[in-house]
Amino acid sequence: MNPPDRPNDIAVTVLGGYLGAGKTTLVNHILRSASERIVVLVNDFGSVNIDDALIVAADDDKITLANGCICCSLVDGLAAALEQVRRLDPPPARLVIEASGVSDPASIAAYGHDRGLRLDGVVTVVDAETVRARARDRYVGDTVIRQIVAADLLVINKVDLVSPGDLAEVRAWLAVVSHDRPMLEAVQGEVELTALLGIDPKPQGDAPTGPQNADEIFTTWSFTTAEPFNRESLQAVLTSWPADVVRVKGIVRVAGPPGQSDGRVIVHRVGTRLTLTDAGPWTGALSNLVAIGLRATMDPTALDNSARSTIAVSSPSRSHSRPRSDSTNDHAPPLSRS
Amino acid sequence: MDDTVLYPARRVITMNRAAPFAEAVAVREGRVLAVGTLDELLSWGPSRIDERFADKILVPGFIEAHSHVMSGGAWQLPYVGYFDRRDPRGRVWKGCSSIDEVIERLIEIESTIDDPDELLLAWGLDPIYFSGERLLAKHLDRVSATRRIFVYHANGHLGTVNTAMLEASEITARSTSPGVARDADGRPNGELQESAMALATTAFAKMMTGWGSAEAKWNYAYEARNAGHTLITDLGTTPLAAPGQAEAWRTAVEDPAYPARVMVAAGTGLGGPVDPVALAEVAQRLQGESSDKLYFGIVKMVLDGSIQGFTARVSWPYYYRPPEGHHGNGLWLIAPEQIKDMVGIFHAAGLTIHAHCNGDQATEVFVDAVEAALEDHPRWDHRHTVQHCQMTTPAQYRRMAALGMCANIFSNHIFYWGDQHRDRSIGPERAAKMDACATALHEGVSFSIHSDAPVTPMGHLHTMWCAVNRLTSTGQVLGPDERISVHDALHAATIGAAFQLKLDHIIGSIEVGKFADFAVLHDDPLTVDPVALKDIAVWGTMVGGVAFEAGVAPA
Repeated sequence: MNPPDRPNDIAVTVLGGYLGAGKTTLVNHILRSASERIVVLVNDFGSVNIDDALIVAADDDKITLANGCICCSLVDGLAAALEQVRRLDPPPARLVIEASGVSDPASIAAYGHDRGLRLDGVVTVVDAETVRARARDRYVGDTVIRQIVAADLLVINKVDLVSPGDLAEVRAWLAVVSHDRPMLEAVQGEVELTALLGIDPKPQGDAPTGPQNADEIFTTWSFTTAEPFNRESLQAVLTSWPADVVRVKGIVRVAGPPGQSDGRVIVHRVGTRLTLTDAGPWTGALSNLVAIGLRATMDPTALDNSARSTIAVSSPSRSHSRPRSDSTNDHAPPLSRS
Repeated sequence: MDDTVLYPARRVITMNRAAPFAEAVAVREGRVLAVGTLDELLSWGPSRIDERFADKILVPGFIEAHSHVMSGGAWQLPYVGYFDRRDPRGRVWKGCSSIDEVIERLIEIESTIDDPDELLLAWGLDPIYFSGERLLAKHLDRVSATRRIFVYHANGHLGTVNTAMLEASEITARSTSPGVARDADGRPNGELQESAMALATTAFAKMMTGWGSAEAKWNYAYEARNAGHTLITDLGTTPLAAPGQAEAWRTAVEDPAYPARVMVAAGTGLGGPVDPVALAEVAQRLQGESSDKLYFGIVKMVLDGSIQGFTARVSWPYYYRPPEGHHGNGLWLIAPEQIKDMVGIFHAAGLTIHAHCNGDQATEVFVDAVEAALEDHPRWDHRHTVQHCQMTTPAQYRRMAALGMCANIFSNHIFYWGDQHRDRSIGPERAAKMDACATALHEGVSFSIHSDAPVTPMGHLHTMWCAVNRLTSTGQVLGPDERISVHDALHAATIGAAFQLKLDHIIGSIEVGKFADFAVLHDDPLTVDPVALKDIAVWGTMVGGVAFEAGVAPA
C-alpha cells in the first residue's frame, strides 16, 4: 500500500516500554541532545529532568528548551496534545510520544498516520536486567511481550548492569520474541540519536550526546545515482534488508509510467518498517539513499548490489557508492562523532 | 425546623434489624426522631401529623455508591434512546424504536435552531434494538448537510457524526486513529469508537463542558430524586484538584433546593498521569471540608477496562470468543506495581479506596495491594472497596472478607450485557458466576449494587431487580444460584452502600438519630412479585426531612 502524499508531515516516534525500563531517561537524553526541533509528549511529566540552564520557559505542563525542543504533559489526553502540536508555528520536525508503561505502543502508533503526522516508527525500551522476568509475570507478561512485538526498533537499556553472558541471552531472547527487530544498546538511555530518530545530535562542546563509542558500533552507507529506480523492486529490496540495517532514509527518483515524468519518493525505514512517500515529480539531480547500521555485521557491498539491482534503467557507470558518507547533502546526515 | 412531624405510612421498612417495620416515622430537625406506632411517636410531645405518605411505602433513601455526574449532564441534550424515559425535570421523552424515528426527532430539533454554526448534539442512542442496523453519517446527512451533528450512544463507547462534522473535524479516509469506522471503500462511515470520539473536537468539547456544568449537577440530583435516591456519588469524574471544582459542587449541593446528598471522590483518572501523594492531600483536605450534604474523602482508581469491550484484565483462560486480532487479555490502566504504590499511599493517608476492577485479575491485584498496604501500615476498618467486582471469584471474596474489604457489584450488567458475556466475552460458566451477590453474602463481604450511571440508567429498584432475578435483556436467567432475596438486595441498596461510604452511622436505615432520608414508593418491594420490583412507581424522596416529589420541574 502506498502511503499518502504528505512529505511535509511531522515524523512521529512512539516510545514504548514497561514501567522502569528507562523511557523517561531516554526522553531526557533526546531533549538535551537534539539538534532539531522535537516535541516530546510525556506521561510522567514530573520526572522529566532537564538542566535549568537549558530551559527557557516552564509551566505545569510544558517545558521549552533553548534548543527549541518542547516537552508537554499528556495529562489532558493524547488527542488534545496532538491538536496542540499541529497548531505549533513553525511546526516541529519531529514528535516523540512516550506511551505509558502499560499501554500497547501499537495502538498509539495508529495516531501517527493522522493528518499532519507521519509515523516514523515504534521504539520500545527494555530493561536488560528485568525484561525476561517481567515477560514471565502473570499480571504483566502479556503487556511486556505486546510492547516488544510492537517495536520497529528495540533499545536494550541498562546493559551496564548485566554480565556479557546475560546480555547475550537477553539479545537472543529478544530476537525470537521480536522477530529479529534491530536492537540498540544503551546505558542511562544514551542512544545514538541518528540511529534512534534519524537525526543528527547537536554538536556540543564536551558534553556527551550519545554513547562514547558510537563510531565503533555504527557505520553509515550511502548510495547515489542519477538513474531512476523501479519503485516496486526498490520497495521489495528495502523490505528485505536485514535487521543490522537500523535505519534507511533517502530521496530518490523513481521511473514514471511510460510517457510520464519520473517521480520523487521519500524513503524511510526504521527497523523493519518501510515507508515510501510520493512527493511529486522528480526535480533533483542525484538520488541518494543512506543507511545506518551495525558496523560489526552490516555489509556495504551487499547493500550496493542490492540497491543497484532496483535501478529501472541499468547504467552502473552513472552510479557510485561511498562506504562512508561525508556528504554535504542535506538529506544524508553523516554519523555524528561525539 | 423545630417542629416535629409524624408521617404515617402504609408501611415503613427501616432496614434496622431491631425494628424492621413500623407504621410511622417522626422527623425533627431533619432527623429521624423515632419510628414505631403512631401512639409511640405521639408520646414524644407536641407534633403535627402529615398524611401525605399514608398510602405509601417508606424505605431508607437509596444510595448509589457508583455513578457519575455525566449522567445529569447528558440530559442537557435531546434524548434519542430506545426506551421511553423521563428526564430529570419530569419531561417524558418517547423512545425512538428505529433509525427513521431518530432522524425524525433530529429533523424536528434541527428546525428549531437558528444559528447555522451551532452544533446539534443528542444522546442515548441504542442501536442494539434496531435489529442490526447502525446509525451512520449517511442517515444523519438527511437531518442536515451543513450543520455539524453528533449523536452519543447509550453505552458511552460510541458516537455517530454526519458528513458535515466529519469534514469540519478533518476525519478523512486517511485518518488512522483507532476507532474511526469505515465503509467498504475505506471512507469514514460516521461512527467513532471510544477515544476516536474526541476527534470530533467541537462536539466533544461541548459535551465535556456540559458534564462539568452546574446544570449537570442539578439534573443529576433530579434524576436521583426521581428514582428514590437520596445520596449519589461522583466516582472520580470531577477533577477535584483543579481550582473551583469542589466549590462548584458546594454551590449546587448546599442549596436547600438541591434534592440529594453527594459524595465526590478524588479520582486518578483513566490511566492518565497522576501524582498519588498530591491527590491524597487533596482528598484529605477536602474530607475536612465535608458537610452534612456534601462529602469528600474517598479515592477512585481505575485498574482495567470493560468486559464487553474485551479490555478488562481477566484470569486464565482469558476471553471466551474474542474478536479477531484480540491480544488475548485486556489492558491495565495502571501498572500493577503502581497500583501497589498508590494503594499504599492512599491507605496510609487514611482514605478509603474505591478501585474499578471489572476482571478477576484486576481484583486479584487490588486485593494483593490492600494486603501489602495492611502489612506495612496496619489500619482497622478501612472499607477499601472493589468497584464493579464483576468477575471476583469465591476465593477472592474470602480474602476480601479476611481483609475487611467491601464489594460494589455491577448487577445491571446482567440485564444489559449478560447475554453477550455468556455468548461472547467470558462464556456460560463464568457469566453465570459474574456479579455474584449470593457469593458475597455467603462469604461475609459487605456489599452494595450499582448502576454506574450514565453507563446504565440510575435506579436502585431496577438494580435490585437485576440482583434478585438475574434476567438478561432476552429474558433468560443468568446464574440462578447467584440470585439474592429482595430483602438482601434492599440491604445492599441502602445500608450496604452507606457502610462502604462510611456513612452508615448517619444514613442507610430509618433509625433514630439518622438523617430523615427516605425513598417514597407506591408499592411494597417486599410484597410485590419480585419480577415486578423494577416497575414499582417512585413518588420521590425525602432528604433531611424535606420532601422532593419526582418529576416536578424546579421553580
